[in-house]
Amino acid sequence: MLELKGLSKHFGGVRAVDGLDFAVREGEIVGLIGPNGSGKSTTVNLICGVFPVTSGGIAFRGRDITRAPPHVCLALGIARTFQNIRLFNELTVWQNLWVAQNSAKHRKQRGFLGRWVGGRGEARRSVERHLEFSALAKKRDELAGNLSFGEQRRLELARALAAEPELLLLDEPAAGMNAEEVGQLADRIRSLQGQGKTVVLVEHVMELVMGVTERIAVLNFGRKIAEGSPSEIQANRAVREAYLGTGAKI
Amino acid sequence: MVLIQAIIDGILVGTTYALIGIGFTLIFGVMHKLNLAFAAASIAGAFLSLIVWQNLKWLPVPAVFLIAALGAGVLGYVIYVACFRFIPLKSPLATLMATVGMLIFLDEVVTHVSDGKAQDYPGMLPTARWVLGPLDLRVDYLLVFAISVVAMLLLLALLFRTRLGIATRAVAQQPVAAQLCGISLDRTNAATFVISGVLGGLAGAMIGSSAELLSNLLPLQLTVKGLIVTVIGGLGSIPGAVVAGLLVGAFEKGLETWSVLARDLCVMLLIFVFLVAKPAGIFGKLNVRD
Amino acid sequence: MDYLYGLAQTIGVHTILGLSAYVVLQTGQVTMAQAAFYAVGAYVAAMLTTVWGVNILLAIPAAAAVACALAGLAGFPALRFKGLMLVVATMALGEAVREFFFNFDYQIAKGDLKVGPAGAEGFRQIRYFYERGWTTAEVAGFIWVFVIGIMALLWWMDRSRIGAVLRAVGEDELAAQSVGINLTAVKVSAFALGGAIAGVGGALYAHYTTHVEHTAFGVVMATFAIAYPILGGLSSVFGTLIAVLFIQGLLIQGLPILIGGELRNLLFGLLILLAMNIRPRGLIDERVARMLRGLFVRSRNA
Repeated sequence: MLELKGLSKHFGGVRAVDGLDFAVREGEIVGLIGPNGSGKSTTVNLICGVFPVTSGGIAFRGRDITRAPPHVCLALGIARTFQNIRLFNELTVWQNLWVAQNSAKHRKQRGFLGRWVGGRGEARRSVERHLEFSALAKKRDELAGNLSFGEQRRLELARALAAEPELLLLDEPAAGMNAEEVGQLADRIRSLQGQGKTVVLVEHVMELVMGVTERIAVLNFGRKIAEGSPSEIQANRAVREAYLGTGAKI
Repeated sequence: MVLIQAIIDGILVGTTYALIGIGFTLIFGVMHKLNLAFAAASIAGAFLSLIVWQNLKWLPVPAVFLIAALGAGVLGYVIYVACFRFIPLKSPLATLMATVGMLIFLDEVVTHVSDGKAQDYPGMLPTARWVLGPLDLRVDYLLVFAISVVAMLLLLALLFRTRLGIATRAVAQQPVAAQLCGISLDRTNAATFVISGVLGGLAGAMIGSSAELLSNLLPLQLTVKGLIVTVIGGLGSIPGAVVAGLLVGAFEKGLETWSVLARDLCVMLLIFVFLVAKPAGIFGKLNVRD
Repeated sequence: MDYLYGLAQTIGVHTILGLSAYVVLQTGQVTMAQAAFYAVGAYVAAMLTTVWGVNILLAIPAAAAVACALAGLAGFPALRFKGLMLVVATMALGEAVREFFFNFDYQIAKGDLKVGPAGAEGFRQIRYFYERGWTTAEVAGFIWVFVIGIMALLWWMDRSRIGAVLRAVGEDELAAQSVGINLTAVKVSAFALGGAIAGVGGALYAHYTTHVEHTAFGVVMATFAIAYPILGGLSSVFGTLIAVLFIQGLLIQGLPILIGGELRNLLFGLLILLAMNIRPRGLIDERVARMLRGLFVRSRNA
């Protein structure tokens, strides 16, 4: 479904991503891990068109999206969340979801004028559904900036889902969560897979990654150093060295 | 030949534009915000010295210029307190509007004080000429050039050889870290406003003296010109402001030989060309936070 | 009584000026060019009615269309500038337009009078209302039909999805892009709409003052244009109206009667200083807007 070929991003002399080859199959939950600075978030930004690619290519469903800007990627069915939450704090929870209805499906449903007006019926029902799914229904009229941290995280995810994506890129969604919240997040991610979505999970929280993903790719210094199932990765020496440095004895 | 003469005149007078550009850029470098009232304050300082001179005719000309510089310096502090000190940093629109409010206020004050027309201002040896080969240079333009260059050199000495200068540059680069090192943000910022004010007041006095006239239209005119210089030179870059100031001065005087209309239109065109081709300016970095 | 109608006209015309900046400011673009589009609207409409004898009901939309087109065109290069650079760029644009009208000369003889814009002298004899015997009250009413229409349009936009999208763009462009909003389309459209509204305002302005000249459309007017929505708060069109009422009605028209003299701009400048220090987010910021809305509208969605 998603294919990265020789993807590279250089910031001046720094090679944030260096010749990355990576593929995601439809319906998978794939993990992308690596120590800080290994290029995980940069990869997400490259896929979504936030940063221009230095070299290499990205294809989504066979279609080249290397140079596609973020809103085009969204329309094609790719949505992402941000590591440090970027909600529209001055808008309400409801409005945060409302403005995200921009996928190709949405565009076809209502036509230009209908979408701009906001549409009765189906659009509003859709937002309600997402509010329910993320347990935010009671806070629908609250300004996003006034929510608690956990609620904001849920809203960040809900907003990405409101765009009805087929591929979801989650950038460290579990940061700052306690064990119970991580468990709830894991359940939510699995149910997303049940809805037919594909998920790429960039994470540091190992309980989540190991518990929810089917396949993991490990980055270090912008290159892929390992790829395999969770148990394979856990046993992999190169991975251990990347995180802990050589000479660590466990 | 007339053209070359004009361009040289332009470069000489362009140093005053450079000073204004430096003032804008200095404040931007430290506060990451534009003080749109800067040029107006500079002219207001010049008008203050005008009033003093009109009432104390015996005052030597250099003293008049000094009053302009000091007056504008005080105004700089007033602007800092009125527009920046109490407004929270995360309201960029608010500080911008505040400086615009100050600009309008100062412009009106100048209009009232000048009775809506240009006023006579002391010149520096206005009739003296220095003939250098084919060039007929005005001595007062040369003096303006010399004074402005000295002012710029003093500023550089201040920035790079004094503690205040280091503090200013520290605050410009990392305000939080600077505070952690014990630098008082409030005092450093205030000092920056005063220093740039003094430079601006001097520039205002120079502009007035080179024309022997202080026009009531100057506050707005100089604001636009100053912004053009700052943008062309690159926001936050002092050498940029200097080069741009000389460039605009030369451009202006050169085009004047053709027609006044051409001059105005081409200066506008110049800024558009720069904004489109090199939005960061000659020396600027496109790292504008606001 | 006539004085009050005159005041109503002024407030109406200034409200439209402020509203022309309202939408653009919501998208996070600080524009000092609204006075330029206002000027375009003024000159186009005035020329249509005075030089070519067009009905005012056609002249106003035509002026709006021209201003809208120009603003739309300007909106594209404006995309390249962020924050303060945009202020400078639009300031330069405003000055360029003003310079243009300073030199614009197009006069036609009508009877033994020459009508049309005359460069530095300005455009006199815009006598559409007088020639048709409109009373001050009728002109005021005419102006306010447009004010109310524009306010209604913007108020409705604020509550619709467009309003939320505009403000999302204004708040965080990266996040907006990432949820699929086409920044170019939104920002340029906002510019164009602002231009259209300014065109209407300028057209009405020209006819109610009967004489326009380039000096009116300078930095001060550009400042008024953004000051009203900023002072009033960008969360509600009523904020802009209140700001206009306060500044024009009370300060500029009211106080000089007490203090005397041409102190309007002075007071304006001081008022802005005061307002920005006391309420940096405007009179009606998001909190107050929601509270007010809660009082009047019992709806589930904001």
